[in-house]
Amino acid sequence: MRKMIMLGIATFLGAADLSRAVEIPDATAILLKDALPAPKLYTMPKGCIVDDTAAIARGNYIFHNLNGKDAKENPPEGLTRLLPNGKEKQMGNCVACHNIEGAKGYGNIGPDLTNYKALYMDSGVRNGQFLYQQIADPRMDNPNTHMTVNLANGLFSEREVCDLMSYIVSKK
Amino acid sequence: MRKLSICAALFSLALCGVLNAEEAMSMNAADKAMYAEMSENNPAAMDVAEGEELFNSLIGQEAYAKVLGVSVKELPEMIAGFPRMLTATPKYDFTFPKTMRKVVTLSQSLQMALASRDKKVFKLKDKEMNKMTAYVKSLANDLKTNIDVKANKQMEEMVVLGQKIFEERRGGRGLSCNSCHSADIVGSRLRMQELPDLGSKATASASTWHAYRMTQSAMVSFDKRMQQCMKNALLAELPLGSKEMVALEVYVTNLGKGNTIQIPGLKR
Ligand code: HEC
Ligand code: HEC
Repeated sequence: MRKMIMLGIATFLGAADLSRAVEIPDATAILLKDALPAPKLYTMPKGCIVDDTAAIARGNYIFHNLNGKDAKENPPEGLTRLLPNGKEKQMGNCVACHNIEGAKGYGNIGPDLTNYKALYMDSGVRNGQFLYQQIADPRMDNPNTHMTVNLANGLFSEREVCDLMSYIVSKK
Repeated sequence: MRKLSICAALFSLALCGVLNAEEAMSMNAADKAMYAEMSENNPAAMDVAEGEELFNSLIGQEAYAKVLGVSVKELPEMIAGFPRMLTATPKYDFTFPKTMRKVVTLSQSLQMALASRDKKVFKLKDKEMNKMTAYVKSLANDLKTNIDVKANKQMEEMVVLGQKIFEERRGGRGLSCNSCHSADIVGSRLRMQELPDLGSKATASASTWHAYRMTQSAMVSFDKRMQQCMKNALLAELPLGSKEMVALEVYVTNLGKGNTIQIPGLKR
């Protein structure tokens, strides 16, 4: 009888100890902090697309680089490798999914943006507002899009989205 | 020795390839040569052998089988079905009270086994754990993954949660795993990388990790590999062993259910 009880306790303790050995960290807070805001409609700011060479250079840089740390060339005026808080500045890496004039090692998940202005803007199928919304938050046009969200989540500023647009429609 | 120096040469070639974007297609000639070389002599085999030594000295198949509630003979089939829930084991000393009936990964079951032997319990990220899990998984080599997501309520919940985590857009770029691994997009190119179909026979993710990652010159576990995708795509890394990470493993493993287990794998 006594032996039975002892055995029962040992079994119970053994099991309890085993369960405690398993590492199960809580990820709730991490996921909460990482959540994406709901899809959002934007209006293109005035004077967004410009033919200013500095803006185009920034757009070019954001388009072709992944982040400030890994970028081979120094960023143009108005962009920095690091953010004020010391973290590396994330760029667009648009080239991972899109071809465009002069792209190296581009991917093909998204449409080819070569000759974009002549093919899509001048022909009237696309306009600045569409382009702005597409880059800022592509979920409005296609909730299941494979494209990145760039403004709704604070990855870029308004001006940086405009820089990207100025680059895409510029003469190259 | 000769092998080593060839590897070193190939590695530097591959690195040069990264610098020259045009040449760095996902598998260029140098990559292919390196792949052929290494598939004959997978460098991670050494890690698996070290894992075997650790496992045998700290736990042993008999004690491990006991924790899982099976016989030593049944071990490989049991291992091929992880992540899984460990239930009561009337045949042996342990019964698990309801409160601890959780779906666990192979590594987490090894944490239990270590505790059952009063041994130091390695953390999931420890290299000892990485090697030991790789060895234990290799005991199921040549078997097909047989995860059962309908086995019980807990597994049913985990596969649903796993799919949710897989499809949830989040992080710095608003991407989800599905942004790059959904059926309609696999085979396209992200930069110069072909997007793999995780469950396909060709990729067979769940049954070929732990794998030697040539780009990192190290053996990487399946959950760690998923963390690497999170990091690359600016999704906050889910901690190893968290419910959500285990759920993701359940979901992706189930995508490739029936693929043959081959540990250690060899990957880019
Ligand atoms: C992970 C893949 C991916 C990345 C990264 C990406 N895109 Fe896209 N992009 C797409 C896809 C896919 C589409 C097609 C629309 C859709 O499916 O929603 C698209 C569409 C577009 C369009 C609309 C083209 C048209 O006229 O229909 C523009 C403009 C664009 N992307 C610009 C950018 C810019 C600028 C960046 C970088 C800040 C970027 N993309 C990054 C995948 C991507
Ligand atoms: C921005 C694109 C992108 C996102 C987002 C992404 N992946 Fe990947 N993933 C890739 C690419 C590209 C590869 C192949 C890389 C290579 O060959 O080295 C890959 C490879 C993998 C592999 C290894 C496949 C193999 O060889 O067995 C796994 C597993 C994986 N991803 C899981 C995930 C999970 C889980 C998530 C979400 C948490 C995720 N990925 C998010 C692009 C992505």
